[in-house]
Amino acid sequence: MTDGPLIVQSDKTLLLEVDHELAHECRLAIAPFAELERAPEHVHTYRLTPLGLWNARAAGHDAEQVVDTLLRYSRYAVPHALLVDVADTMGRYGRLKLMNHPAHGLVLESTDRAVLEEVLRSKKIQPLMGARLDEMTVAVHPSERGHLKQVLLKIGWPAEDLAGYVDGEAHPIALVEEGWSLRAYQRDAADNFWAGGSGVVVLPCGAGKTIVGAAAMARAQATTLILVTNTVSARQWKSELLKRTTLTEEEIGEYSGARKEIRPVTIATYQVMTTRRKGVYAHLELFDERDWGLIIYDEVHLLPAPIFRFTADIQSRRRLGLTATLVREDGHEGEVFSLIGPKRYDAPWKDIEAQGYIAPADCVEVRVTLSDHERMAYATAEPEERYRLCATAASKTRVIERLVERHIGAQTLVIGQYLDQLDDLGERLGVPVIKGETTVRERERLFEAFRTGEVHTLVVSKVANFSIDLPEASVAIQVSGSFGSRQEEAQRLGRILRPKANGGTARFYAVIARDTVDQDFAAHRQRFLAEQGYAYRIVDADDVMADGEV
Amino acid sequence: MTARSLADALRAASDDALAELLGARPELLSPVPSDLGQLAARATGAPSVARALDRLDRWTLNVLEAACIAADRTPGEPISYADLRGMLAAADEPDVRRAVDRLLTLALLWGDDDGLNVVIGAREVVGTQPAGLGPPLQVLLGAVSPWVMLAMLDDLDLPAAANTGEAIDHLVAYVNDSDRLDAELATAPREALALLEKLAWGPPSGGVERADREVRTATASTPVEWLLARALLVASDPRTVALPREVGLHLRRGQAFAHPQPTAPAVVVAGVRDRVDPTAGAQAFSFVRATEELLEAWGLDSPPLLKAGGLGVRELRRAAALLDVEEWETALVIETAYVAGLLGPSGEIDDGWLPTPAYDLWRSTPPEERWATLASAWLRTTRSAGLVGSRDDRDRVAATLGPDLDRTLAPEVRGGVLTVLADAPPGAALDAAEIEAVLHWTRPRRPAGLRRALVEWTLREAERLGVAGQGALSGPGRALLRGEADDAADALAPLLPDPLDHVLLQADLTAVAPGPLVSDLAQALALMADIESTGGATVYRFTESSVRRALDAGRSADDLHSLLAKHSTTQVPQPLTYLVDDMARRHGRIRVGAAASYIRCDDESVLSELLVDKRAAELRLRRLAPTVLIAQASGELVLERMRSFGLAPAAESADGAVLVRRPDSRRTQSRQRPPRLATELAAPSAKLRAAAVRALRAGDRATHAPRGRTVAGMAGAGVLPRTAAAQTLALLQAALEHGAAVWIGYVDQHGSVTERVVDPIRLEGGYLTGYDHRYEEVRTFAVHRITGVATLEAGDSEFGDVSENGNFDLDPRTTEVRGPA
Repeated sequence: MTDGPLIVQSDKTLLLEVDHELAHECRLAIAPFAELERAPEHVHTYRLTPLGLWNARAAGHDAEQVVDTLLRYSRYAVPHALLVDVADTMGRYGRLKLMNHPAHGLVLESTDRAVLEEVLRSKKIQPLMGARLDEMTVAVHPSERGHLKQVLLKIGWPAEDLAGYVDGEAHPIALVEEGWSLRAYQRDAADNFWAGGSGVVVLPCGAGKTIVGAAAMARAQATTLILVTNTVSARQWKSELLKRTTLTEEEIGEYSGARKEIRPVTIATYQVMTTRRKGVYAHLELFDERDWGLIIYDEVHLLPAPIFRFTADIQSRRRLGLTATLVREDGHEGEVFSLIGPKRYDAPWKDIEAQGYIAPADCVEVRVTLSDHERMAYATAEPEERYRLCATAASKTRVIERLVERHIGAQTLVIGQYLDQLDDLGERLGVPVIKGETTVRERERLFEAFRTGEVHTLVVSKVANFSIDLPEASVAIQVSGSFGSRQEEAQRLGRILRPKANGGTARFYAVIARDTVDQDFAAHRQRFLAEQGYAYRIVDADDVMADGEV
Repeated sequence: MTARSLADALRAASDDALAELLGARPELLSPVPSDLGQLAARATGAPSVARALDRLDRWTLNVLEAACIAADRTPGEPISYADLRGMLAAADEPDVRRAVDRLLTLALLWGDDDGLNVVIGAREVVGTQPAGLGPPLQVLLGAVSPWVMLAMLDDLDLPAAANTGEAIDHLVAYVNDSDRLDAELATAPREALALLEKLAWGPPSGGVERADREVRTATASTPVEWLLARALLVASDPRTVALPREVGLHLRRGQAFAHPQPTAPAVVVAGVRDRVDPTAGAQAFSFVRATEELLEAWGLDSPPLLKAGGLGVRELRRAAALLDVEEWETALVIETAYVAGLLGPSGEIDDGWLPTPAYDLWRSTPPEERWATLASAWLRTTRSAGLVGSRDDRDRVAATLGPDLDRTLAPEVRGGVLTVLADAPPGAALDAAEIEAVLHWTRPRRPAGLRRALVEWTLREAERLGVAGQGALSGPGRALLRGEADDAADALAPLLPDPLDHVLLQADLTAVAPGPLVSDLAQALALMADIESTGGATVYRFTESSVRRALDAGRSADDLHSLLAKHSTTQVPQPLTYLVDDMARRHGRIRVGAAASYIRCDDESVLSELLVDKRAAELRLRRLAPTVLIAQASGELVLERMRSFGLAPAAESADGAVLVRRPDSRRTQSRQRPPRLATELAAPSAKLRAAAVRALRAGDRATHAPRGRTVAGMAGAGVLPRTAAAQTLALLQAALEHGAAVWIGYVDQHGSVTERVVDPIRLEGGYLTGYDHRYEEVRTFAVHRITGVATLEAGDSEFGDVSENGNFDLDPRTTEVRGPA
C-alpha cells in the first residue's frame, strides 16, 4: 500500500488530501482529466466523467497516462473495474473523426468498422449522413457538422473534429502591452485554445477572461464576433479592447438593443440575438453577416439554447468559450463540449488567488433573527410570498445599515433581488441605486463614479451580476438573491475579487433571516462557494449590531 | 492365484487399497455395504461407475475406453496389459501404467497384467462407441438381412453359410483378417478410401439415403456402395451407415487414439500482473463492506419473500442502486451472505429477508475473518449467483435467493478454476478459454455448456470477492483454496487498510474518512451524516435531516459536538457547529403524541378538580394547557364517566362543533331485501319471453330429439346418453365433420349430470368447444366429463346414417350402468 494523496472511490470520485506533501504534484497530474467538483479546506473532490476523460483525450492525454496517474498517486488499490472503464471511455473518443476530404468535402472517418456501423444504424444519425464512400468513410452534409457532433456525443461516440476552420476575413489585431502584461496563465489559456482550434477556457471571475479573449483575437488576426450577456458588459469589452489592443473605436461595433453596428469586431448581446420577431430569431443572421474568423462566447455557462442551435451551423469557424464554471444549472455541459469545443484551459480559483491575481475573500453569513411580528407574518404567508417576505424583512435593513457603517471608506456594493427593498435601502443609506430601469448612460456614470472613488457605496440589482468591472469594490453585502442559484452567488462574489490596490482581503456578506427559507436557499448557494474553497463563517446579527468581532 | 471376480480381487486387496477405493468413490459407502460381495456388486453397477467416470480425467478415461475395446474383441476373456499397451503405443509406458493403476484402485478394472477385467458397469457407461469407434461388425450385422449377408459371402468369396450365425462368423473372420482387408483396400477407389479415412477418426457413422439398398460388388457404382458391398461399411439403419469397429481399428493401425493426451493441456498465460494482492485486498474489503451495507439496510427495511421463493427483480435493482454496483454483483453479495448463513427468511407470516443472528456475531469479528467466512461459503456452495436472471426451460426467470440456483457442478468448477490459476506461475492471469480447456481435460464427462458459464462466473466472482486480483489468484485466495480459512484471513489482514479513528471535517458540511473507520465511529457517523461516496475512503455529508436523525436517536447536541471534536484532526468548521446547534434548538420544539380523547373547559378549576378526582384515574388524564386535558380513554367512556360524576359534558366533532347526542339506535349492516312470495307475477318483458322460448326449445330438443332416434336400446326419454370414451370421441369427431348438433350428457363442476345440446366447433386437447344451445353461448367441455354422446341432426333423421356405420356399438359396461336408470 502506498501512501499517496489520492483516494479513488468506487463512484468515480477522486479525493485529494490537500495537506499531503504530494498534493500539488498530484493535482497537476489529475487536473487534465478529472473535473474539480469541490475544493473545501482539507479534501478536494474530483470526478471522472466521460466528458472530462474526452476533454483529456482532446488535449492529447491517453488512457495509459490516466491509469498510470491514478495508480501512482492512489493511497489504496484502485478498483480494477474503474480502470477498465476509464480505458473504455477514453477509447471511444477519436474512433470517429470528422475530416476534410480533398474530393468529397466533409467526411466522417472511422478507424473501427464496427463503431461506424453501429453509429450509422442510429436513427438520429442517418439523416445527417451523405453517401458511403468506402468501408471506413462516409460523407457528411457540411451543414450538419455541429449537429452530428452533438448526436454522436449523445450516443457515446464523440467525434474528433479535424476538419479544420475557415480563416475568415483577415483583420490585423495586436495586443498593446503598455503598463501591463499578459499573465502566464492567460497566455497558456490563449495558446491552448489556439492549438486546439476551438474550445472553452475556464477561469475564475476577476482573472481577466477578457484579456484571454483579446489574446485569442491577436492570434486569429481576423474579424471577430463577441457574444456577451448584456449591454453594460458589451461596453466593458469594448473599453478593454480599446485599452489592450491596437483596435480603434471605429473598428469595434456594438450590436445591441440600442445600436446595430457591424464592424470588423462586433460585440453582440445574447438578448438581442435571441429576440424573436414573429416567431423568428431576427438577428441570428449576424452570424453570417461577415466572414468571421473567430467567435467568442462570454459566460458560456449562460449561453441560451437558440444560440446553441445556431452555433451548430457554424462549426467551421473558430469558437472560444469563456466561463468561470462549466456547471450549467440546466445540465447542458454536453452541448458546450460538442458545439463550442472541449475544455482547453482550467485553473482553480484558489490557485489564481495564491498567485495574487485575484483578491482573497472572506465570506460571512450574517444571521438575523426576525422580530416576532415578522415571524408571524412569515408563518402565515402564502408559500410563493414567503421568500420575498423573509428576504426583505425590515430586521435585515438595520443590520445592513450597520454593516455599511462598519466598512465606511471601503468601496461597498449592496446587492439584492427585490427592487422595493433596494429602493428602500438606497434611501436609508443615501446612496444611488442601479436597477434594470436605470439607463445605460446613468449606469455607466455611476459605475465610473464608483471606480474613481467619488461614490463609496452602490445599491445594485441583479443587473450587476455579470461582467461589470468594478476593481476597487472590496465589500459586497448580499441582501437577497434569486432563490438558490449557485451561479449567481459565484458571480456576485466575483464582483469583489479583482485584486485590490492595497492587496487587502475582500469581504462578502450574505445577510439572511434565521429559520426561514432564506436560510435554506443560502445553504444551497453557499455549498457551491464552500466547494470552491470559500468557506462561510456564520455570525449572529446581534454581534454585528453590538460591534462585536466579525 | 488369479481372482475370479471383482469380489475376489477386493478380498485379496490390502486394507489400505480398500480404504483408497472408498476414499475415491465415496458413494460406495452410503450406506455402508454389509460385505465385500455387496461392495463389489455396488462398485460394478452402472450408476456408481458413472459417477466414478465423471471424476476421471481424459487420459484415464481413454485408457478405460481402450480396455473396453480390447474386452469387446475377446468376449468373455480377460485382456492382457500387453494388449492394452499395444493399443496405446503413442503414449509413454509410465503414463499408461499410471492410468491402469488408477483404474485398478478405483475398481473399474480388476485383475493383473495377464488378465485384466473391465467391470460390467464400465462397459455400459462407456457405451457402444469407445474412443469414437463404431460397433463391432457382429452387432451391426444384427440389423442386416440374411439375403444381403449371403450376397456378401458370395461376392467376397467367403465360404457359404448354412445359417445366419455361420454367415456372421464368416464375415467377422473376414474383417479380423488384416491381410485380407489390406488386399481389399488396395483396390479401393480413392473416394472410398477418403471416406474411410474420415470415418476412422471422426464419428464412425454417417447419413446415407437408402443405406440398406441391395448392393453387389459387381454393380456398386458409388464409393459408399463399393464399401457396403465389401462389409467395410454396414447399414445400421435405413438412413445410416457405420464403420465396423474391426475396420476402424485396422485403419487406425490398431491404435485407440491418434494423439493420446496423458497430461492436462498447458495453459497460455494472458499476462503476469504485479498488483494482484493489493487489488484483491481492496476488492475483499469492498465486498465485506457491501455485504454489511446491504444487510444493515435490510435489517431496517426487509425486502419481501416472493411466493415462489427468492427475491423480486425490483428488490434486486433497489439493492444494486443502494450498493452502486451491477445487478450480477448485487446478486453475488446477496447469495454469498445467504450461503454464509448471514441472511435468511424472517419466518414470520409477513415473510421477508432479514439478517440472521449469526450476522451480528459475524459483524463483531475483524474484517479479514468476515471475508474468510464469506469467501469459504462462496467456494463451497452449490448455489450459483451467475444464474440469476437467466430463464429456465419453462421460461421462468431464476430469482436471487430462489430455489432454482443450485448446480452440483458449481463447487467443482469453482475449485477447478482456482486450482488451474494456482498451478499457473504467481501473478499469472488466464483467459476463461484456457482454464476451460484444462477443466475439459480433467473432467471430460461434465456438461460443457454449464461449465463454460460457470468458469466465466467464477472468474468474475473471484475478482469481486478478492479471491483473485487482476485475473490472477491472490494470496488469500490461495490459502482459501487449500481449505485453510484462518490462513486466508491472516493472508488478507495485511492487505486491508488499518482502521482509522479520525475524520476530516470540512466547511462544506462533509466529513471525509480517509480510510476505513473503527466500527464505533463508523456507526456513530452513519447515524448523524449521510454517506455520499464509498470506496477506500468514505465521504459523509451532514444535512439537517441527518443531524435530526441523530437527535431523534437520543443523541444530544453536546454528544454530537464532543464526538466531532474528539474525532476530528482539525478544528470543527463553524457552519457544522451551527448546523448541529440549529437543529438541536429546533428539535423537539413541536411535540406530537397520541391521545384517545380530549377534555376542554374554560373554567380551569373544573379541570383541576377532575385531575385530582380518584374516580377519573382510569381515564388517565394529563393536563396539556390550563384549559385542556387529554385522556387515554375513548370519548364515549369519558363522556359517560363525566356524566356519572354529575358533570354535563357535550361531545365535540373533529372540527369543534358540538355534537348533539341521542340515545344510540343501532342498525344492521346493509342487507338484501327478503325474498317475496310469488303471487301475481308481472308479465315478463318481450325479451325475456323470447329468451324463455329459446331455452325451452333447446331443452325440448335435448329431451325429445334423440328419443327413438338414437341407436336401439341406447336412450329413452330423459335418459342421458352413455357411450364409452373411445366412442365418445368418435361420435364427436363424426359430428364435427358433418357439422351436426350433438346431445351430450355432461358432469359439471359440482358433480351433477346435465344434458346439453351442442354444435361442436372444435375438438382438441381433450376439450370440446361448441355452441351450447341451452346457455346460448360458446362453451368448452372437458371430454372426460362427457358421459355420452348422441348425434341429432337439427330434428331430422339423417343422423341415422351414422348409426348404421356401426359407430354405436355399445360397451357392455355402459349398458350395465344404464340399467338402473
